[in-house]
Amino acid sequence: MGTPTEAPGHRSLADQLRGWDDVRLTRLLLARPDLATPAPHDFGQLASRATVRVSLLRALDLLDRLELHVLDAVALVGPASREEVLAVVHADGTAAGAALDRVVDLALAWWTPTGVRALSGVAEGLALAPAWAAVSGLLPAAAEAPDADEVPPLLTQLSAAARALLDHVEGSGGQATAGASRLRVTAEDAATPAEELLARRLLVSRGGSAVVLPGQVGLVLRGGRTTRDPVDAVPPLVTAERSPALVDRTAAGAAFETVRRVELLLDHWGTDPAPALRSGGLGVRDLKATARLLHVDEPTASLLVEVAGAAGLLAQRAGGDGNALWVPTDAFDAWSTQVTSTRWAALARAWLTTPRAPALVGTRDESDKPRNALAPGLTSRTVTESRAMALAALHGLEDGTVLAAGTGVPSLVSRVRWLRPRRPAAREQELADALTEAASLGLVALGGLASYAALLVAGEDPGPVLADLLPEPVDHVLVQADLTAVAPGPLESSLARRLQLLADVESRGGATTYRFTPASVRRALDVGWSAAEVHEFLGTISRTPVPQPLTYLVDDTVRTYGTVRLGHAEAFLRSDDEAALTTLVHHPKAGSLGLRRIAPTVVVSDTPLDVLLPRLREIGAAPVVEAADGTVQVTRPDLLRARAPRERTTAVRSARQGAAAGAVVSAVRSGDRAGRVRTGGEAGAAPASLTPSGALTALREAVEAGEAVLITYVDNQGTRSDRLVDPRSVEGGSLVAYDHRADDVRSFAVHRIHSVQAVPD
Amino acid sequence: MNDGPLIVQSDKTLLLEIDHERAADCRKAIAPFAELERSPEHVHTYRLTPLGLWNARAAGHDAEQVVDTLLEFSRYSVPHSLLVDVAETMARYGRLRLEKHPTHGLVMSSTDRPVLEEVLRAKKVQGMLGARLDDDTVVVHASERGNLKQALLKLGWPAEDWAGYVDGEAHEIDLDETSWQLRDYQRDAADSFWNGGSGVVVLPCGAGKTMVGAAAMAHAKATTLILVTNTVSARQWKDELIKRTSLTEDEIGEYSGAVKEVRPVTIATYQVLTMRRKGVYPHLELLDARDWGLIVYDEVHLLPAPIFRMTANLQARRRIGLTATLVREDGREGDVFSLIGPKRYDAPWKDIEAQGWIAPADCVEVRVTLPENERLVYATAEPEERYRLAACTPHKTSVVRELVERHRGQPTLVIGQYIEQLDELAATLDAPLIKGDTTVKERQRLFEAFRSGEIGLLVVSKVANFSIDLPSAEVAIQVSGSFGSRQEEAQRLGRLMRPKAGGQTARFYAVVARDTVDAEFAQNRQRFLAEQGYAYRIVDAEDLPAA
Repeated sequence: MGTPTEAPGHRSLADQLRGWDDVRLTRLLLARPDLATPAPHDFGQLASRATVRVSLLRALDLLDRLELHVLDAVALVGPASREEVLAVVHADGTAAGAALDRVVDLALAWWTPTGVRALSGVAEGLALAPAWAAVSGLLPAAAEAPDADEVPPLLTQLSAAARALLDHVEGSGGQATAGASRLRVTAEDAATPAEELLARRLLVSRGGSAVVLPGQVGLVLRGGRTTRDPVDAVPPLVTAERSPALVDRTAAGAAFETVRRVELLLDHWGTDPAPALRSGGLGVRDLKATARLLHVDEPTASLLVEVAGAAGLLAQRAGGDGNALWVPTDAFDAWSTQVTSTRWAALARAWLTTPRAPALVGTRDESDKPRNALAPGLTSRTVTESRAMALAALHGLEDGTVLAAGTGVPSLVSRVRWLRPRRPAAREQELADALTEAASLGLVALGGLASYAALLVAGEDPGPVLADLLPEPVDHVLVQADLTAVAPGPLESSLARRLQLLADVESRGGATTYRFTPASVRRALDVGWSAAEVHEFLGTISRTPVPQPLTYLVDDTVRTYGTVRLGHAEAFLRSDDEAALTTLVHHPKAGSLGLRRIAPTVVVSDTPLDVLLPRLREIGAAPVVEAADGTVQVTRPDLLRARAPRERTTAVRSARQGAAAGAVVSAVRSGDRAGRVRTGGEAGAAPASLTPSGALTALREAVEAGEAVLITYVDNQGTRSDRLVDPRSVEGGSLVAYDHRADDVRSFAVHRIHSVQAVPD
Repeated sequence: MNDGPLIVQSDKTLLLEIDHERAADCRKAIAPFAELERSPEHVHTYRLTPLGLWNARAAGHDAEQVVDTLLEFSRYSVPHSLLVDVAETMARYGRLRLEKHPTHGLVMSSTDRPVLEEVLRAKKVQGMLGARLDDDTVVVHASERGNLKQALLKLGWPAEDWAGYVDGEAHEIDLDETSWQLRDYQRDAADSFWNGGSGVVVLPCGAGKTMVGAAAMAHAKATTLILVTNTVSARQWKDELIKRTSLTEDEIGEYSGAVKEVRPVTIATYQVLTMRRKGVYPHLELLDARDWGLIVYDEVHLLPAPIFRMTANLQARRRIGLTATLVREDGREGDVFSLIGPKRYDAPWKDIEAQGWIAPADCVEVRVTLPENERLVYATAEPEERYRLAACTPHKTSVVRELVERHRGQPTLVIGQYIEQLDELAATLDAPLIKGDTTVKERQRLFEAFRSGEIGLLVVSKVANFSIDLPSAEVAIQVSGSFGSRQEEAQRLGRLMRPKAGGQTARFYAVVARDTVDAEFAQNRQRFLAEQGYAYRIVDAEDLPAA
């Protein structure tokens, strides 16, 4: 795509963008989405937006170290030809060339007729960076200073002290104060090292006592390049050898555990939900209980609940008392019926795309409050990018190699720091967290990316590959005389659910251990199993004969089952006169009353008391209502479900953005064409007054092109005047420009600029 | 996926499928570091515990071996967190070492300074440590060697004890193997104890732990103090030692309530050592009476707490613990580890049974139904009375009589907890009774008569639980036990499991009252047996004639 290198150049950035094809424009808008919202009217506005400081800084954050240095070089020597730029970058030409194309693609620099030129805010933006992302630190070339080829002879004239001073200024940011030195002095009069330098314009004054080292001088001092050290050395990853099969197996183990734990947790919360905090999160105590339930540590427990939440399997719902509860969603039911590998893929995808940062759980926020799992604020802007970069780095490793234990992660951190030098330091922790989380979820094991996870990252279906690695479901258990049963693998889910009813789970993992107790057998009887059914079920799932003690246990439990009967009735009728009750029960009009005799002196009814009482009176009985001491309610715990939150994942978001960006491109094009027709019609006419945004666009264009413009300005007294100015920057509603009439740099309020007119050279 | 016999669970249990062809190899490989928790018929359960892993470290295994073993035999992938945990736990052992210092005596040193700093700041070790010699070394008060080890274990940084042992007063002891042979596993057990320095040997009842003790003494060839549970068992030890070793009667002393002899080999009871008079233990000086070269603790799982405290002061002497189970009802397994030593030898019951060294046993639970009136009494009784009521139901007497009748001609023991019940049974069955107040002399006479076959039926209380050799018993009927004590059940079954001349199967009946706490306790006790691989059957008393 880097075709425009030899292009003739454009009058303005807007012109250059206008010349791009749709694919390239779309790519720009995808990379810098802030340019597209809201859709700009025309290319002028688009170009104007690209130069806005905030947007510019965001774009700079996307660059790797080499690209930053190339852009820095462009800012220093531009406008310059491709060769001139590449000559001053201390890097391999091909890589630097690609980097140059990329900064142009990102609209951070553009081709003028005289060469490539960086946007005016770039130099300032580059300077605003943490120490590790610093670029050359050279200041822009100064017109009053000698040209690069004149510098070496001047250097030879310097005294040793002056040369040392010059080197010192170069090494410490290029800025200094002149102190008592005379700023205007000739080489012959120079008394101090500083004056020697000032006289030869190797340092130039910047008002007051501030002096700076002009860029072209700095370049010469550094041997003609912006840096002394090469900037294209990508830090290597420290690796170790490990068989991919082992990586896959270990990761698959973790993947299996992840799915099992999420299912266990949500099954548990389906009947016994965890209360949600008022602030929306999960309480510390509930997190601890979760960790205990799942046999994991708390960070892993936070990760699992967060991933379940991100996958839409977990949401809040109001409980019976109105307090919010964390319960599985209806999506969980669909999820549970899928095969393990599909279920895992859903969880892993959710983790890859969620901006939530489980690793922050337990840390303290700005107001020094601990952060809770599932709390709304637990997000990070860079965390998905960190995950993607960590996995991409592992993906890039050769087959059979993994990140070395211990030193691997630091090397990955420095690699990513090279790739995104301007990102905040906190992301080092994010990278380490991403790797830990990936390992506990089963994307990564032993420092290597599992083969199926690579498919997932690439957007393909990891299911079939993963399924081969997971334990195969078994259809039998080994029943033993100590009243335990062991399923030597994951039990088929229908069997597992039935067995869980009949026996308590003692240990989970690749295999499951069940224990039969009288209580567990009773539980099965409670849901309507008969002794024969229990025996038959045990007989079919057990590979070995069912041990006698278990058979005995079942029979013994059945024997005592139901000795006490419990029933449901709305009202009871009690009389010492058995005949009176008999009369009532057999009364022809009593048929609809649902009377049932449960003892000679007790009759119960399904009819509520308030209905029953008048009816009985109609029949002719004269009952007395006993003090209501409550009827027994038989309840079963309901499985609670909430609606899955419809949150867009970043994948969907980016697809939508892709579509939107395309639409924006066409909108801009048409708007632009309309605008040109309008202005074309009035060619040569007096400049029309401009809207503030129109003025901004025109001014920014002029800043980028470095052209003088004629503005009509209304000053403080309301006097209208035309000024010929060289715009330097447009920021915060004011234009900073060199005013030709005043021969000085002045600031103009943009809203008072009535019109802007290009001045032919 | 690999077709191993082992399934590693994330809760740190290991399930071993024993019908698998590689099960035997796997068992051998994991035995050093995993504790066998249950061994029923199909799947054995092992558990990885810090103690087990440290035991393995003490025996010279490292984390890598453990991890490799798990990976090699595991059928499914091993949870990564578990592997990390194994490595971390094992790395904790030996960061601290107790060593001899040429000038300062006993010192604790560390290769990991932060660990030492952490430990030095712990409250638990205050007062046990002296001056800091340099960054990595600190003086330990010699008297606190045991206490310190105990405290360090609680802190999770168990120390390796390299300070060595005193040789003790030399005394020639040899095994006299003219009429018998030390079994292979007994020799292995004694050897691995000796190589390890100090520690515990776990062997099932009836597997000849006394022989292991004798073999250890033959290794030490030094004066020996043997601590046993009671006088009868002290006499048995004495008899065995005379029979199996070069020791003569004059060289072996008994130190019990009745006799107080201190000889080159002295056998003392726990009871006499822990006897307190006016707040002091008058017999404690026995521990220092001679320069003992070896101390043998019989039935370590019953070691009373005061003995633990005393043992803390004996760290410079070699110690061997003998037991059938490391399960302690009081949960003080950690103290056994730090004060006596790590487990040095372990063999599953079934293995030794398969080799024919202990008799196979058939366990039957007989359930009797309480009659209506007793059920009412039981239902309304105070909770503390309930067990006694259920356990002593007169119904059991008739069942016992029936069982005794059925096994007439086979030497039979009737074992119980409650004296009134036993009195009644003895009267009904017309059999001699041994209980707490039976004199030692009388006890020995009765046991002798039972052994010789002179009497075929004996009613005993819990005094016969331990270390009394009744090899001829073929049938045991338990009518009541001390609540749910698992080790009692093991001991009682152990009475039966001395190998029989005819190789018959021993019978163990437990008579319990249905639907009462008696049955619940019985279940708890039997779980232990079932976990050891002893299947049991349950029959109703009414079905007994048919069964």
